[in-house]
Formats: sequence, C-alpha cells, structure tokens
Amino acid sequence: MRRLANGVLASAVAVAIVTAAIELFKPYVPVLSLGVLYIFAVLPIAVGYGLGFAIVVSVASMLAFNWFHLPPVHTFTLADSENWFALVVYLATAIVVSDLAARSRRRAAAAEQRERESALLAELATELLRGRELEEELPAIAGRAAQVLGVDSAEISLGTAHRPPRDQSPYPLEVAGRKVGAIYTPADPNVAAQRRFLPALAALLAVAVDRDRLEKEALAAEDLRRSDLVKTALLRAVSHDLRTPLTGIRTAVGALQSPTLHLSDVDRAELLDTIDVDSERLTRLVGDLLDLSRLEAGSAAPEPELWSLDDLVRDAVDGLGARDRVEIVGESPLVNVDPGQIRRVLANLVENALKYSPPEAVVVVRVGATRKEAIVRVVDQGPGLPDTELELVFEPFYRRDERSGAGLGLAIARGFAAANGGRVWAESRPQQGATFALALPVVEVPVELAT
Amino acid sequence: MNGQRVLVVDDEPQILRALQATLRGAGYTVDSAATAEEALTAAAAHPPEAVILDLVLPDGNGKDVCRELRTWSEAPVIVLSAVGEEREKIAALDAGADDYVTKPFSVEELLARLRAVMRRSAAAPEPVIEVGEMLIDVADRIVTVGGKRVKLSPHEFDLLRVLAQNRGKLLTHRTLLREVWGPSYQVEAHYLHVYISHLRRKIEPDPSSPRYLLTEPGAGYRLVAPSSV
Repeated sequence: MRRLANGVLASAVAVAIVTAAIELFKPYVPVLSLGVLYIFAVLPIAVGYGLGFAIVVSVASMLAFNWFHLPPVHTFTLADSENWFALVVYLATAIVVSDLAARSRRRAAAAEQRERESALLAELATELLRGRELEEELPAIAGRAAQVLGVDSAEISLGTAHRPPRDQSPYPLEVAGRKVGAIYTPADPNVAAQRRFLPALAALLAVAVDRDRLEKEALAAEDLRRSDLVKTALLRAVSHDLRTPLTGIRTAVGALQSPTLHLSDVDRAELLDTIDVDSERLTRLVGDLLDLSRLEAGSAAPEPELWSLDDLVRDAVDGLGARDRVEIVGESPLVNVDPGQIRRVLANLVENALKYSPPEAVVVVRVGATRKEAIVRVVDQGPGLPDTELELVFEPFYRRDERSGAGLGLAIARGFAAANGGRVWAESRPQQGATFALALPVVEVPVELAT
Repeated sequence: MNGQRVLVVDDEPQILRALQATLRGAGYTVDSAATAEEALTAAAAHPPEAVILDLVLPDGNGKDVCRELRTWSEAPVIVLSAVGEEREKIAALDAGADDYVTKPFSVEELLARLRAVMRRSAAAPEPVIEVGEMLIDVADRIVTVGGKRVKLSPHEFDLLRVLAQNRGKLLTHRTLLREVWGPSYQVEAHYLHVYISHLRRKIEPDPSSPRYLLTEPGAGYRLVAPSSV
C-alpha cells in the first residue's frame, strides 16, 4: 500500500515539475517541441515503480501538457489538429521508453537477487567445507537463507523426520530425489528464488550431511582399528607374560626329571627355586588378569566399611613386607571403602614406587585430606615420568621399561579406586621422582563414633 | 663330562637360571648373559662352542647378535623363539643361526638340538655323506638310496648336497636358494617348493609322508636320517 501511495505521489510530483519547467522555457522555444521533456518524468517513474506507473505518468503528462500548455489552454481540446499527432507520438514514445526502462530495472533486480543467492551459496559452501559441526551451523544458515528468500525468518531441519514449527509452511530440500530436509518459512518466499535457490541449498546441505557422516564413520573405523591394535598388543603381552614363567617352570621340571642329567645339589635347589618364583609369578598374573576383567565387566562390587585410610596404608605396606623401605607420614579422616580393594590399590602404588626407586631409597607415603577427599600420595625417588606418560601408565599392558611387569598393576589400582568412588593419578617432574596419588571421598563421621 | 663351553643369553632371570642349571647338569661349562652387549662381550672373553640365544633382548635382537657373532665365530647358535616371533626367528636363521626351539621347550629337545649342532660343527667335510640308507657321493655326484642309484638333475643334486652337508640342521628358504641357485634367486621361494617335491619323489620311500626331507612350516627344510631327531 505504501508503495502505491509513494508511486502516486512521486508520479504527481514528477508531472508537476516538468509542467512547471515547460512553463519556464515557453517564451523561448515553440511549445509543441517542449512536450518531449515529459520523458524526464516518465523515465524515473518507470525505473522506480515499474511499467504500470510509467503508463499512468505518460498519459497524465500528455493531459497536463494539453491542459496547461497547448492552445487553447485550460481545455482538453486542441486548436491545431497537428498537435494531436505530436501528442500521440509523445505518448507512444513515453510508453516504449518506460517499458524498456522497466525491463532493465527488473533485470537489474533479478541480477541482484541472483548475486545475493550465489554469494550466500558460496559462503555456505566455504563454511560447510571448513568442517564445523553442521547441526550447530543450521540456525545461521537458515537466517541467511531467509534474507535471500525475502522472508523474515526461516528454520531448517535435516533428515526426514520433522516436527514442523507452528504457523510455518515447509518447503522440501531435495537433491535428485533424495530428501535432505526441509526449510520452514512464515510467509511464502519469492517463487523464482525458491525455484533456483532451494535446490542449490539442498545440494550443499547434502554434501555437508554426507561429509559429517563420512567423518563419523572414519572416526568409528579409527576406533575399531585402535581397539584391534590394543587387542593385538594385549594378546602379545599376555602370551609373553604367561609363556615366560611357563618356560622357566617347564625347563626346571624337565631338568629335574631328566634321567640323563647329573645335577648338583646347588643346581637342584636353583631349579626348585625357579619353579617357586615362576609359579608365584604366574599365580599373580592370573590374579591380576582376573581382577582386570572383573573391573572391566563392572563386577568388582566393593563392600564398603568405615576405615581410617592410614591404617589401610600400613596394612598394605606390611603385606608387601616393605615396612623398612616405606615411610608413612600424616593421618587421614575416615573413608567408607572396600578394605581389600583399597589395600590392593595402595599395595600396587607402593610396589610400583619401590620398583622405580634406587635399591636403598625410601618411598614416602603422605596421608592427608582436603575438605572433601582423603588423599594418599606415594612419592618415589625414581627417574620420574614425562608428561606424555602420566596417563599412559594407567593403560593395561603399558610398560614403561624393562622394570615393568605385565603392566597391569596401575590399571588395576585405578579400576579399584574408581569402583570405590575415588581416583588415582600420577604427578611428576622428570629427574625428581614420580608421585602416584589416591583420593577417596571423605565420610561424615557417624555420631556414635565421634569422640 | 666333556665340559664344552655354552653361552646362554636370555633377559629373563628365571629362564637363565633354569637353563644354566640344566646345562651344567648335562656336563657343559656355562656362561650367561642378559643383554646383547653382555653376550658379545662374554663370547669374546671366553669363546663358546655353542650359543643359546633368546630372540628378544632389552638392547637389541637375536638377529643382530647372530650377525655380529658370525663375523668372527663359527660357534653354532640355537635361537629361543616364541610363537608370534616367526619373522624374527627367520631373520636370525638367515643371519647365521643354526636352529631354533620354541618356548616353552622340552629340556630333552633342547639338549638334542644342542648336541646335533655341536656335532655338525665339529665334523670335517666328507667325500661321501651318509644319511640313513642314503649315500651321497659329493665328488662323483652320485646318490643311492638303499643301494639303488637315483638319477637327479644338477639342481636337485645340489639341493640335496647342501641339505646333506648340513644334515639335521634347519636351512631357511633363503639360504637354500642362495646356495643352490645363487644370490639373485633369494626370493623365488616357489622354485624351491617345486624342486623339494621332485626330490622327495626320488628319494623318499613314501613321498606323501617324508621321513628324510622334513618341512619346517614357515621356516625352511631339514634333512634327517629317518627316526633320528
């Protein structure tokens, strides 16, 4: 409506200005030839408001020319019949020119629209290729698409299962019969833009959807490959760790049973000791593997009891027979944990620390607490750990060096700690020894135990 | 007993201990080493008459020790390998190891292999080699089985001769190809399979269940006197 009012006003103003201008030139030029000046009224209106307005302005111009300037003035009659001819020629010229102007205007507008569309498509292509998550980009893409389609807002959904937003009409996004999704707009978009732009948008989104999917598949394939690698490493490790003690035992038993060998008492004792050590090693390994598989299957349910953490530390150290090489400092609040499992965690941490410390060095175990957690830190005097290994050491079968056993102790420690609501981690500065820490949630002391 | 010196190399202390006691019980003088470097040092200090060598060592692998040892020592080497280490095992055999046993091995098997490789290394070149009922005249290129003359093509004869001169010993595909066909044929394993099957048809009483010419799957071939180790 406003556009119509503007058009009428502009048309009136244009005709009035040219009519006034002719009045100014009339003393100097034959009046009939001045009719051509109305072109300056018709052209801007044709460009600005289209052909319809231009025709109206042309007719109005000729009427105004006739009324104001052609004798007899202030009538629509003409004294000279030649003037009729001139007037008709002017009118025809005006209409032809305005038609040309209006066409070029439409072309310019269409070109502009296409430029907007292709600019948006190019930008979208760039953004989608940059590899951001498509779902996150959708609102922004929809906003830009709304601009191009000449509507206030738009929403894009991918896939075929849609919940259409209320009051919005869906337009399918399809490429070669494949439904990519739909775009929802509150009003009908410009038909030409819709026909041109939506298929291109659909094609781009299809590429992006495919890329997202391929990326996810590649990640899944990578995960699979990694887990295959882990399985292979695991198999190798287990077979090596089982076979080595078996080889020792089998060799010793074979030698002891052989009728052809002449074994000294010392050698006989050596062989028996080998069997003892290696079968102990096998027993522990099998135990560790069982614990690990129980932890991974989630069937290592703790049976929590209230314990003072420093007592558990002392029990664990005594269990290792390492009292003279471990210094325990500090006290801790009560924790509600499975004592067997937490002793195991502590024993594994202390044993690990002893293994990596020089033979005579003392391992310090610091027991303390924050407001929420009871914390045990096992500090060794070994070579320390580089940052890259701080997490790796907790991977099952990870071996730091030849001092590592099967590489299960720390993995089991972490598993049992987690089962009891706690956590285990490593801290280290190279050349300053490593610290392995256990944190367990602190328990409110029950009233009957508080002194 | 004989007191021949054997060097045992393994980084697993318990295996090393058990092997030392076993070999001492069998009458050998035993040296031991836990790393590749220790092994080469020990071999240089007291040249062994045989080496028992673990394939995987903390500071290197058995193949490199073999190759290094072979530059100055003829002492036979038996490799201790494990399932999953086939490639390393073949590499060590190609590098000059004489035989292998797979962990866990039986003591009797290891001692038998050890006796076999030490006997071979002590033996002088023979003009006529006797393997079971088979006689191989190296100089006149004549082979008889149970007194009956067997006609062999030149390559078949060379193949049999190389196997016979190393009887009891495992020869890898690569070694056999190199010895018989020359260095440029080292990867043409199918030549070998074809000639071995020809050879079996001529010398074996029952070619489908060979008793002389035994296959070591994935590794090579071994010529033995029937019913010996």
